[in-house]
Amino acid sequence: MDVQELIKQQVTGHTVVLYMKGSPQFPQCGFSANAVRILNTLGEKDFFSVDVLQQTEIRQGIKDYANWPTIPQLYIKGEFIGGSDIMTEMYQSGELQTLLERKL
Amino acid sequence: MVTPESIKHNIEQGMVTTYLSVSGDGRHFEAVVVSDEFAGKSRVQRHQRVYQTLGDRMREEVHALSMKTFTPQEWQDK
Repeated sequence: MDVQELIKQQVTGHTVVLYMKGSPQFPQCGFSANAVRILNTLGEKDFFSVDVLQQTEIRQGIKDYANWPTIPQLYIKGEFIGGSDIMTEMYQSGELQTLLERKL
Repeated sequence: MVTPESIKHNIEQGMVTTYLSVSGDGRHFEAVVVSDEFAGKSRVQRHQRVYQTLGDRMREEVHALSMKTFTPQEWQDK
């Protein structure tokens, strides 16, 4: 399957998706760790995560998918929300919590 | 090695800013960007605009660029 098609299936097939370096249990980068910490703090424990270090095609493909050159990347209901900085800002403002509550 | 000055230079060349600061250690960088261009734009669009000024450098040289983006009005109200 085309990698762009695969990514589309992943982000639309799961409510909350995080593309990251490492796993939620063992993040391999401070920014990915920050993203996981924010989701966990907001009660998101079972989000779908993709370790781009294990999947090199997705590592490149996800940057093209969102026109966004860095990892992590958060998607909610198929929509690209942002990376670590934006997640932090939206967490601090309460916007991310609102988004996550509305998702159900 | 990538310097904060060279990143600042790229951003300055690529867009009009009213305030711009970049710091970093060669791999991780932090930027504060204030620009009229951000008015009416989402956070994602603002960051994409700054990434655009760096082009392939973001993919090849810069591991991470942390960003805070403001319009001049938001910057003043801070």
